[in-house]
Amino acid sequence: MCPVLGHLDGRFESADAEAEHRIAVLYQEFGGPLLRHVRKSTGNDLQWAEDVVQETIVRAWRNSARLQWEPSLIWAWLLTVARRIVIDGRRRKSVRPQEVEPPEVDMMAVPDGSERALSAMIVADALRSLSEEHREVIEQTYLRDRTINEAAEILGIPPGTVKSRLYYGIRALRELLRDKGVAG
Amino acid sequence: MHDGVAAYVLGVLDEDEHEAFERHLDTCERCQAELIELVELPEQLDELKNAPSASDDDPPMSMSR
Ligand SMILES: [Zn+2]
Repeated sequence: MCPVLGHLDGRFESADAEAEHRIAVLYQEFGGPLLRHVRKSTGNDLQWAEDVVQETIVRAWRNSARLQWEPSLIWAWLLTVARRIVIDGRRRKSVRPQEVEPPEVDMMAVPDGSERALSAMIVADALRSLSEEHREVIEQTYLRDRTINEAAEILGIPPGTVKSRLYYGIRALRELLRDKGVAG
Repeated sequence: MHDGVAAYVLGVLDEDEHEAFERHLDTCERCQAELIELVELPEQLDELKNAPSASDDDPPMSMSR
């Protein structure tokens, strides 16, 4: 049974009190780990990361049926929700002039001996060993902060094709990185 | 529908598709299992986004269009 919803029955005087308790339990269970992960994608913007965690927890609370899932699935879902919130925030903040030159995605880390640069190189290598079709959709979507539909337009192929290539490309990448034992 | 799990975990679906996929996820055990498997991949890709910038003579991975 999921620890999040355990022992909640009939102890609360009001719905508000129960909601408050549930949110507190969610924070307790997932708040710390979520914040650590979210901080990686907000750079060092701690305030932003905390806002993202808060919004994620509130969304989780609103979708309490999903909190009955097993913990590993709840965690995967929470991370995905949080990532989406970060991406949406970044899209709103950015005033990138898309029509002019798109920012180059830095594919190679300068090998400075840090673990981080090393894993960037491993990921870049894995990406390079994918087929052109698979690599292209990963680059044109996630790595450039674009949606499936935006990438489809740029690549001149149907969105369904982008989605499907992305699926097989991501699966292939996952296999490659699993073999190389890159820490997540 | 199942192949949406990659786009979902990367957060690259449009809002309505994202929500539609979440509804699919609620009942699809296959996608639930794949979500768990794939959930760390975006952070691994982030290593590329956040990596120290490339020197000028590194060829870009993709052809500019
Ligand atoms: Zn499915």
